[in-house]
Amino acid sequence: MPSDVPAEEYLELAGGRVHVLRGGSGEPVLFLHAAGGAGTWSEFHRLLADAGFDVIAPDHPGFAKSDDFPLVEAMDDLVYHYLDVLDALGLERVHLVGASFGGWIAAELAVAASHRLRSLVLMSAPGLRLPGHPVPDIFLMPPERLAETMFHGPPPAAPEGAAPGIDAVLAAYRDSTALARFCWAPYLSNPKLERRLHRIGAPTLVVAPSDDRFIPVAHARRYAELIPGARYTEVADSGHAMYVERPAEFAAVVTSFLHMPEPATSGANR
Amino acid sequence: MKFSFFHLMPYPYLPDDFDSAYDSSALTYPNANFDPKLGAALYSRYLDELEYADTLGFDGIAVNEHHQSAYGLMPSPNIMAAALTRRTSQARIMVLGNAIGIRGNPLRVAEEIAMLDLLSGGRVDSGFVRGIGWEYFAHSVNPTRSRARFDEAHDLIIRAWTSEELFSWYGENYEYRYVNIWPRPIQTPHPPVYIPGAGSTETMKFCAAHRYTYMSVYAPTRIVRRWFDGYRQAEADLGRAPDPEKIAFSVPVYVADTDERAHAEARPALEWLYHRGLKQTPQMVTPPGYMSPGSLRGVLMSGMHGFRSSSYEDLLAAGQAVVGSPASVAARLRELYDELGGFGQLIGLFAIGPSTHEQVTRSAELFAAEVMPELRPLGVAAGASPA
Repeated sequence: MPSDVPAEEYLELAGGRVHVLRGGSGEPVLFLHAAGGAGTWSEFHRLLADAGFDVIAPDHPGFAKSDDFPLVEAMDDLVYHYLDVLDALGLERVHLVGASFGGWIAAELAVAASHRLRSLVLMSAPGLRLPGHPVPDIFLMPPERLAETMFHGPPPAAPEGAAPGIDAVLAAYRDSTALARFCWAPYLSNPKLERRLHRIGAPTLVVAPSDDRFIPVAHARRYAELIPGARYTEVADSGHAMYVERPAEFAAVVTSFLHMPEPATSGANR
Repeated sequence: MKFSFFHLMPYPYLPDDFDSAYDSSALTYPNANFDPKLGAALYSRYLDELEYADTLGFDGIAVNEHHQSAYGLMPSPNIMAAALTRRTSQARIMVLGNAIGIRGNPLRVAEEIAMLDLLSGGRVDSGFVRGIGWEYFAHSVNPTRSRARFDEAHDLIIRAWTSEELFSWYGENYEYRYVNIWPRPIQTPHPPVYIPGAGSTETMKFCAAHRYTYMSVYAPTRIVRRWFDGYRQAEADLGRAPDPEKIAFSVPVYVADTDERAHAEARPALEWLYHRGLKQTPQMVTPPGYMSPGSLRGVLMSGMHGFRSSSYEDLLAAGQAVVGSPASVAARLRELYDELGGFGQLIGLFAIGPSTHEQVTRSAELFAAEVMPELRPLGVAAGASPA
């Protein structure tokens, strides 16, 4: 499949339709987007696909063009949702790459079903409750502070001209509502996740941006410490908007990990 | 027309640099700015004012619930209502209302209102509110569950009040294996219910279906008119002539002997209320999922904006405050009555922001003596006699 223009498809699940963008060919990579990244096929996606992977990028329930899935109420439901997605795709095992909120889903999915993963990549994922390294309240941030928080360098300028139209405001509110459904309280975390991470048997890369003002890098380091055999790396001069701010660097780190030969003892035994 | 004296119990002592230093009087406004000694004196003064309104002939005295805010100092309205039950004898005691969207245990609300009903000899009115946006942050309740929690808590409370048999409750949000409240309320079938509306058609239909009083929140007349029309339409859709007494208009009211004096005294009070007391960020007003997509679209299309851009003159012109001599206030309320298509209850905020005790009591006296009699015949259902 071409990698610059993804194919657009919908998966029909019992609870509704999942919108999927898909490009490239090779081993399948399920990419779980960050809270702000639904429905987009960015340079990062293209670079992953160009490196020889079949990149599959669904929108989470309630985000962008996916249906609401009102019965997917919490993180445990999201894990089952993505197991349904894997089944609907007919994929027994995938590389699972999750960024930020998508990284938290990926970690939970890996805890529950490590045997479905060829490998796991967590890109600055929340999900751990580390009171000494608090995550600022994304829901209370005015837009300008949100941009400053997410980018290490100057954030991209807001588009010139008129304020966003009503439909754009409603679409953003829908995404934010879907996010809040899963992470209002406990805030962006599952207090039980830390003690479950030992179950992950898939080869794992934990990657963090050097200057993350949203999810402190202590979170990534803690993931790396608790996931058996996990590798840890940082990408320099980047904020939390990882694959938007430094797409080439993040794509390079992720693809070189995915290209490593699969160890004989990898996750299939879990 | 029925008249009630509503109190927010504000904490008016904001620092001089409040406007530049703080983005809200709520949620994140540090409680180091709260002086408990001053707060205790305010409680005493504010309860005196509510009790005085009872003696002046107001039909109701009203309290409400807010959390972590200088805007209103009543995290538990039921405690204030309890204090009023023993010191008043005539007025309805209106709790407008309990924020059942954010309560962890709604059965407790059913129990407390039943207690108040007994303590007051059947004078309690029970408002139910969802709780405003910042309170979902303050009490860590998921705003995407707000509507579902409100609806379920309401259904549970009504059944708890009216059931004479033990029952079990298995809902999406709450589970109780034993619901069997003691005491039960004294009013039958249960205390009258008030629900505030801010444009949601679901709320209009809900109020009409249950014959609850639909009360407005502070908004420009043209918008409140749309809400009241929506409620009347919901009544008509059920094949009923709307009962004006089930429509309550809420508005700050300030009366003094002359127009000149009234405006001089009300201006700083109303500017405090709308520009400081209600100062909050857009994120606090509308946390995610707090509004349904349809309601949010309605708000965006109506062109409503934050109160901070409304001047004192704008607020008066838009019917978001009524100020003047008794004659001017009566005339303006008649005008608003016509512009809103009628209403049968006026819920007046008489203690506004930093108004002094003397100002508030004088305003209430003038209103009771000279405005109420003028307006009393309005807003009564055809065939009913004025209260």
